[in-house]
Amino acid sequence: MKDTNKREWALKLAILGDPAVGKTSLINKYITDSFRENYQPTLGVNIVSKDMRIEEINSKIRLLLWDIAGQDKYELTRQNFFQGCVGALLVYDMTRYSTFEQITLKWLEDFKKFSRPDGIHILIGNKSDLKDSIKVPYEEGKQLSQKIKAAEFIETSAKNGENVEETFNNLVLHILRKNGIKLKKD
Amino acid sequence: MIGDYKGFVKNKVVVALLQAYHDILDYDGMKSILKEAGMMHIKDLRDKNPNDTLDFFSFKKIISAQNCLLFDSSDLLFEIGKKFSFYLFPFGKNFEEIINEINSSIITDWRVSISENNENEITIYVQRCIFCSEIGVPCDLFKGFLVNSLQKSLPSEKKVFYERGIEDLKDPQHNSFIFKLKIDKSIK
Repeated sequence: MKDTNKREWALKLAILGDPAVGKTSLINKYITDSFRENYQPTLGVNIVSKDMRIEEINSKIRLLLWDIAGQDKYELTRQNFFQGCVGALLVYDMTRYSTFEQITLKWLEDFKKFSRPDGIHILIGNKSDLKDSIKVPYEEGKQLSQKIKAAEFIETSAKNGENVEETFNNLVLHILRKNGIKLKKD
Repeated sequence: MIGDYKGFVKNKVVVALLQAYHDILDYDGMKSILKEAGMMHIKDLRDKNPNDTLDFFSFKKIISAQNCLLFDSSDLLFEIGKKFSFYLFPFGKNFEEIINEINSSIITDWRVSISENNENEITIYVQRCIFCSEIGVPCDLFKGFLVNSLQKSLPSEKKVFYERGIEDLKDPQHNSFIFKLKIDKSIK
């Protein structure tokens, strides 16, 4: 994290989760307000930047969003991508229970092991628009977020945009708070 | 990007760098950097004549995009630098020749020279390194390049050791530096 005169920050954030949980779609929705129906797996890592301003603390923040491939073939190289990560979205697909289980079995452990020790994580249940197919109820997500000490639990839909912007913004605010920045809501 | 970016870079340098991105970050990682640089049109540059050139301003856009996106990712940059050396000089070369060739392949206001060279240590002086000219950006990529280039030029029982050291990244002159590489027998 870079803090020059407390006005400019660069935050490296990881988006983690099993293949096809919607990591890239969440980023695309957040950055370009777009959604693609056809699934195209990420090869390696997809990195995008987005600048945001938080007026109340007179800060410009550059987000570096690392959309890290979930496929097993990246098991060995993936850990190199975590260096310097100050925050993560741990994403599961609400319609596939196995992706929920993998949060504790794999993704949280990787993030804790390889990123910054003071890194913040938020638990995300994605695909909330697929109401008839949901296999992971809200309560279970909430319970897991408490168990893994996530800063927050949010259900999102990359398709219709539900809670997408809030998710990224909240992660940034949690990181700033953790770094001693006072915000109005505190 | 503020500055005067005059010069040119041989295609083979750009292709080696893109190949290094591809190896370390895979296809989408390479694409991310080119997209950020606004240089997606060169992703298939390998099909062109390796001795043709790209203008230095375009090359610098790629480096700036890389340094922006790979902020705080020094290990990855170092690994990319090693791969960059591998793809630029795939058959290995004498280290002095490599230094001469990198100078003649990237023609702009920078210089890499060997200031001391003995059996156990090589001192390299890099003036106005183009890979880390932005404030706040460490020179991990070019150091990775130098380490691997020297390692490849040595017999297998010799190993290159180096210290990354602490750089004052706020100093606008931090991209001019001395880099010492020690050579010793490898411990097996």
